[in-house]
Amino acid sequence: MDFNRVKVEVEDGVALLTLNHPEVMNAISIDMLEGLGEAFDFIEDKANGVRCVVMTGQGKGFCAGANLQGRNTSPAKKTNAGAVLESHYHPLLRRIRRLHCPIITAINGAAAGAGMSLSLMGDLKLAAKSAYFMQAFRRIGLVPDAGSTYILPRLIGVARSMELSLLGEKLPAQTALAWGLINRVYEDADLMSEAKKMAKELANGPTVSLALIRGLYWDSPENTFEEQLDLEFRTQRVAGDTDDFKEGVKAFLEKRPAQFKGR
Amino acid sequence: MAFDRVRLDIADGVAVLTLNDPQVMNAAGAPLLDEFLAALDSVDAPENGVRCLVVTGAGDSFCAGANLKERGLGVAKPVGKVLETHWHPLLRRLRRLHCPVVAAVNGPAAGGGMSLALACDLIVAVRSAYFLQAFRRIGLSPDVGSSWTLPRRAGVARAMELSMLGEKLPAPMALEWGLINRVVDDGQALAEAMKIARELAQGPTVALALMRQLYWSSTENTFEEQLDLECRSQRIAGETDDFREGVAAFLEKRPARFKGR
Repeated sequence: MDFNRVKVEVEDGVALLTLNHPEVMNAISIDMLEGLGEAFDFIEDKANGVRCVVMTGQGKGFCAGANLQGRNTSPAKKTNAGAVLESHYHPLLRRIRRLHCPIITAINGAAAGAGMSLSLMGDLKLAAKSAYFMQAFRRIGLVPDAGSTYILPRLIGVARSMELSLLGEKLPAQTALAWGLINRVYEDADLMSEAKKMAKELANGPTVSLALIRGLYWDSPENTFEEQLDLEFRTQRVAGDTDDFKEGVKAFLEKRPAQFKGR
Repeated sequence: MAFDRVRLDIADGVAVLTLNDPQVMNAAGAPLLDEFLAALDSVDAPENGVRCLVVTGAGDSFCAGANLKERGLGVAKPVGKVLETHWHPLLRRLRRLHCPVVAAVNGPAAGGGMSLALACDLIVAVRSAYFLQAFRRIGLSPDVGSSWTLPRRAGVARAMELSMLGEKLPAPMALEWGLINRVVDDGQALAEAMKIARELAQGPTVALALMRQLYWSSTENTFEEQLDLECRSQRIAGETDDFREGVAAFLEKRPARFKGR
């Protein structure tokens, strides 16, 4: 399925979502954000049976961040650099947070500015060896956005977050892995096959439980200990009501692999 | 500047604030902290044009923490008092500062001295420096904000270990743990910190200040609150001359010349 600057291919329960504007290293435009909105409509549609998403970029970059070429730079105009966040970026971030299944980001090349923020929205983040991350915002006099000031310090701590954002230097994939920002680094040529393999494994999993797990970790840093215990309790009740739980227990007792249906 | 226990030097938009009581490893009592706060007034004053602050120590130590000798032995002074009168106002001033803060940790940073380093945005340390949660050694608990900053920089497991065991954390290990940003050869802390500070002092100061606020606030916020804060911050950054210059420089493929406004 082709959407505006985005394409989605579904195979065996895995939706491959590709940012598709390689001429500008998949820089994010309003067009692309609208395309992403439609792509997630498609992914969330039960009829399409998506149980895991892989997000990647077409060509040699993952995403170069906001598309600066398209904006009005005439000095007379005061830009409200915050408005498009609320109208377009934040709804997308919320949708990803609340997604019904796991999402993997396959970071095939540069992930800069808001493109870095987007790459960090993956539950699991896999990168090509040649990929790098860059908090480009300070280079043009802006601050980090698209959620990265929330996610970054929670992944790598405040010291390293400050450094990345204040200095705006490139962070190579290997260092990102050593810092715990991402989960795996693969040879460039192997990235997509490895990402698809991992996605297929997740797509065959107990989808309800996997979705609840990602919800628990999204909420965890916002909760007190008591609130989180309460959430674990309520969440486990939902997971315990699924067919997949019954199948999981049965398969365990019969010493065979479980066949999860995602419900 | 006429200070005794601190020194303040301002040049090229960079202010260097030196804790200056090397005989006691720059241990900080009320007199030193009074001067520290007064020096921050100069750092804050717009006419001084400070766009980055460096904090360091005179001699071979960064800061040994509270000055126990100045506690006035025999006088019953509540232990927490100087926190509320001096340290906490100092931490609040640093948190709200209009420009980035770089710590040049030129030697041991212990107790409140370790906490002070952790309150800075970027931390450069010499190889022989160490960080010490000395509190438990004298029967106290961590203060000067370190029970807040430490788990946010190094995680709870490591924070517990440092505070409960009270062992020295060598600078290279602190780097590996993500507690600090750079380790350099002995004697080079200030030089490296100045290199970073000069780079930051030529940066988009408004955006850099907003950025440090974002990270200070981040761990206190929910995701939704932080998105809201990013939105409000970006709106302010987007109205600066530096943003227009940054975009123009990007499109013209030349380095940006930021003015800090």
